[in-house]
Amino acid sequence: MKRIWTRWLPAAAAPAAVAVAVLAGGASAVTPPSPSTPEQVLALVAGHTAQRFSGTIEEKADLGLPSIPSQALGPATSSSSLGSAATVLELLTTPHTARVYADGPSKLRVQVMDQLAERDAVRNGSDAWTYDSKTNTATHASLPSGTSSGSTSPSVPAVTPDQLAQRFLTAAGPSTNVTLGPTTTVADHSAYTLVLTPKTSGTLVASVQIAVESQTGLPLSVDVYAKGQSDPAFHTAFQKLDLHAPDASVFAFTPPAGATVKQEQLPAPKAGSEATPKPKATASKATEPAKNWDSVVVVPADKVPAGFTGSALVKQLASPVAGGRLLSSSLLNILITNDGRVIAGSVPAATLMAAAK
Amino acid sequence: MLQNSLLPGVRLFASEVSVLFRRWRTWAMLAALAAVPVLIGLAVRFSPKGPPTGRGPAFLDQITHNGLFVGVVGLVVCTPLFLPLTVGVVAGDTIAGEASLGTLRYLLVAPAGRLRLLVIKYLASAVFCVSAALAVVLGGVLTGLALFPVGRATLLSGDTIGPGEAFGRLLLMGGFATVSLLGLAAIGLFASTMTTVPVGAMAATVVLAVVSQVLDALDQLDWLHPWLLSDHWLDLADLLRQPISWSSFGANALLQAAYVAFFGALAYGRFSTKDILA
Repeated sequence: MKRIWTRWLPAAAAPAAVAVAVLAGGASAVTPPSPSTPEQVLALVAGHTAQRFSGTIEEKADLGLPSIPSQALGPATSSSSLGSAATVLELLTTPHTARVYADGPSKLRVQVMDQLAERDAVRNGSDAWTYDSKTNTATHASLPSGTSSGSTSPSVPAVTPDQLAQRFLTAAGPSTNVTLGPTTTVADHSAYTLVLTPKTSGTLVASVQIAVESQTGLPLSVDVYAKGQSDPAFHTAFQKLDLHAPDASVFAFTPPAGATVKQEQLPAPKAGSEATPKPKATASKATEPAKNWDSVVVVPADKVPAGFTGSALVKQLASPVAGGRLLSSSLLNILITNDGRVIAGSVPAATLMAAAK
Repeated sequence: MLQNSLLPGVRLFASEVSVLFRRWRTWAMLAALAAVPVLIGLAVRFSPKGPPTGRGPAFLDQITHNGLFVGVVGLVVCTPLFLPLTVGVVAGDTIAGEASLGTLRYLLVAPAGRLRLLVIKYLASAVFCVSAALAVVLGGVLTGLALFPVGRATLLSGDTIGPGEAFGRLLLMGGFATVSLLGLAAIGLFASTMTTVPVGAMAATVVLAVVSQVLDALDQLDWLHPWLLSDHWLDLADLLRQPISWSSFGANALLQAAYVAFFGALAYGRFSTKDILA
């Protein structure tokens, strides 16, 4: 009975083996690409050649909003009165995993993988489909030829690093300092890091970091940092990336029998993203800088969609301030004034209140 | 030589499995599991209105288009409670049941028999995990074939597949549910070595399964989620995407393997150092 303690050795070895496996998995080799200037990397992104790829992206936001269990929001997202506000909240408070397939500029499929459900956006030539498995509804729109697949449908809350990076980089003008950070590895691809820092101090955005694939120039991850917060306020990155053309069958979509199919009319070419209701547009504003980092968007009361300012979720999250109610987060403030206007921007609340006068 | 040492093990395993399937309790549990999809199918078939879209268990509204989805709904409904409950009963009974009956010491008369007995008891519980998942799948398929048309099945991605492939996917989901239960069976085996009261081990196992799911539902504990036994249980729907998302199957298998290794080793530590009095 002297060596009885050796019988417990396997029990001690098992967690040790797991720890070793976890640590070994985390430390993958980084192959540093040759040094480069910010201008070269910007040129690399602008002319990026990775038109064909498939991958998995992970997206999460930490905006300092209260975390709401996704189960609690589930019923709200499918209800008609709360739907739009709840979708925005869900986008901003819960992490998402999505699969992305792209083949050239006019073929794109994004699959947002929810638990026991999925939301799809498929672009194949001039056909654009969305499908929501929870409600078994599909929408179809015919796009004029030549439209690039820059934005997916607003009902699919996923932003690929590519799309988001392009928005930031087109907006990064003289108001932005562009520097080069340390090289990293994202999804087993070595990458340069572009760091965009706003020159103005009047914005909540501290910096934006974009990882750019060193061979093709494809943006692999985007992290938006807010002032006074060490974790990124918004993060989207490839977890897996395969730079080969996906199977063509991925882009062939026929709505299933029994699904409700809605036909959507697009008012004018290139207006796809503007035609969305305001709450969804605010969601993209959270991640999309306007001309300047500290600019403020004012939506007149008659342009605000009915039900947004009155919805219970907005009422609960917005705190009363002088002249209205304020929805505050680490990256974006939204002021709903007493006369019904909605004023938003990545600026401190005081700037919004000054703009409201 | 190898055959000589393996043969008694194989014989013991065969006798364990036959004892397991000779108990009326095993068959009652399998019948209860198979009854879940049958009840779901009957409720949908004979309700005056069709199932409402977007309410009730996931995939419920798909049943009327494709009968095989009765099995899918059955698996989704059974995964959080019924399947862990039955596996907890079988795994919790493995050692403690023999101890409470006073038959454990007769099983251990062979030298160096404790590890082998533990492995064989675990393998028999694993056989029950497979049978439990199959009971739900078969109950669902038979109900679906009897009550509903079997047409093209709609996947989560909105793509459709034929009945043959749908049946294949359903079997894969049964496999996913089986793998999900293997870690819990190891926990049950460990709990069973701790006590001579089988009900205590069963209750502890089932309570752990429920606690794991409660923790999994709290977003504030998201750092803990990847380590929870039940973290991937409901990812079995990933097999209904087009193309199939295998990553959660692999992650689940790894997680369960880690649980089997850890609790298996704990069970060995406890069982091999324990005084067998009964």
